[in-house]
Amino acid sequence: MSEKRQTIIDLARVSKTFPPDVHALDDISLRIRQGEMIFLTGQSGAGKTTLLRLLCGIDRPDKGYVEIVGQDLSRATDAELQDLRRRIGVAYQDFKLLPDKTVAQNIAYSMEVAYRSRQFIRSQTEKLLTELHLADKQDALAGYLSRGEQQRVAIARAAANEPELILADEPTGNLDKETTGLVMQLFRHCNEQGTTLLIATHDHSIYDFPGSKVVKIENGRLAIQKPAAALKKAEART
Amino acid sequence: MMNFLLAVLSQTWRSIIETWRSLLLSLMTITLSVLIFTFFYLVYVNTLQVGNRLDNDLRLIVYLDEQPNEALQQEYRRKIEKFEVERIVFVSRLEAYERFRAQLKDSNDVLEDVPKDFLPASIEIYPRRTLRSLSQLKDFSAYLERLPGVLKVQYGREWVERFYSFVKLLRVVVLLSGTLLILTTTFMIGHSIRLTVFSRKKELELLRLVGASNSYIRVPFFLEGALLGALGSAAGLSALYLLFRWIKASFAAQAAQSMFVFSFFSTPTLLAIVILSTLLCAGGSFVSIRKILSV
Repeated sequence: MSEKRQTIIDLARVSKTFPPDVHALDDISLRIRQGEMIFLTGQSGAGKTTLLRLLCGIDRPDKGYVEIVGQDLSRATDAELQDLRRRIGVAYQDFKLLPDKTVAQNIAYSMEVAYRSRQFIRSQTEKLLTELHLADKQDALAGYLSRGEQQRVAIARAAANEPELILADEPTGNLDKETTGLVMQLFRHCNEQGTTLLIATHDHSIYDFPGSKVVKIENGRLAIQKPAAALKKAEART
Repeated sequence: MMNFLLAVLSQTWRSIIETWRSLLLSLMTITLSVLIFTFFYLVYVNTLQVGNRLDNDLRLIVYLDEQPNEALQQEYRRKIEKFEVERIVFVSRLEAYERFRAQLKDSNDVLEDVPKDFLPASIEIYPRRTLRSLSQLKDFSAYLERLPGVLKVQYGREWVERFYSFVKLLRVVVLLSGTLLILTTTFMIGHSIRLTVFSRKKELELLRLVGASNSYIRVPFFLEGALLGALGSAAGLSALYLLFRWIKASFAAQAAQSMFVFSFFSTPTLLAIVILSTLLCAGGSFVSIRKILSV
């Protein structure tokens, strides 16, 4: 059944090297279909963030083919890349929030560039902030929030424009167990509505979602690609 | 489309609020540049009007050594009409005496013992407008001087030469101040946009990351430029109008006695200045933002 679904991410023999000779990604091939939830794991420096940067078009691969939502990134024009970025939501590891803007303004950016109506922007912002227990912080300046709160705002911005794909880089890195639960709940809601998720994480506790997969990267190479439940069982045995 | 407009308008408003200090500085510079340019332009336009009025009164007086008979008058007329003249009037010695007498009014008794033919006969020539450029007048005057029986040709040459030199100088000043307007406007717009880009660097980076189109980034800067141009030119013209009113009020008495009647720009000219300034600033900001941000 899953074979019939549209391919959202298609990586074929992708390599990326940073000077002088750091092989961040080495011959990675990966196919992710619409509606899948994938956890990208691996140690620090394994290449998770590099992979996410390639997927959102910030970096280009040295070798290989990257296709996102049907768009070949090596051939994408500026306008096509901009259109693609409006269709994917990215929660960056360093949040990329504007400290002198309010929480609501920070979230609104992803919807404003897609020319969403004011009403949609307002209702979507309120809904997401309520879901992430930040409703009272709507008018607070992002710079005055705690790291955990900032992380949740970044996640809300990634999900706000109802994207086809969400890329999240360590989305629970600064969160306690309770707020991690809230974020994962939000991701599950998005996934249920058809959004594909690729979550780069160290946190083993978060990938016990039914139907989700785990992709492990070691030293820039793809090491394991398994259903999360199977991997959990294997980890429990060891 | 509506959402696009609302989005870019709110972006523009946000940007204006954040960078109002540098915008105010640009606005003041544009206002001053427009004021300088329009001041000289207004002086130039009024001077041209004075010139037109003078042109209407302009005539060449050819003094003759003898009273010409009918045949000689026809001969003169034939030779003069080779040039573009509107009217030729022959003034006899007696007519000249009568005119002079009339000009003296109550003091005309000084002419009692003077013979009535003491003034020379003359020809008054009213040239057509096409003949009235300075070089043509000079050539025409030289030609008239060479005619037989001509004593002297008079047309206020020195005054006309000075006037046309002044008009030429004004034209140069207007061109220079227009160039100054273009240079300062584009420089200030470029400078203001560079400051705005610098102060909104992180925001612009974020906009690119979330997929803002080139128009979404470019249009607010374009609108900001257009707004600066419109407000700057309107403020400059308002200042010029106040200056004009003050000058008119201060020199009203003198002006009433002279031929200098100052007038302000017509509504179409005012609109043209505002529209041109707006286009200039909008164009300047469009070019600057493309250069700085490559969008």
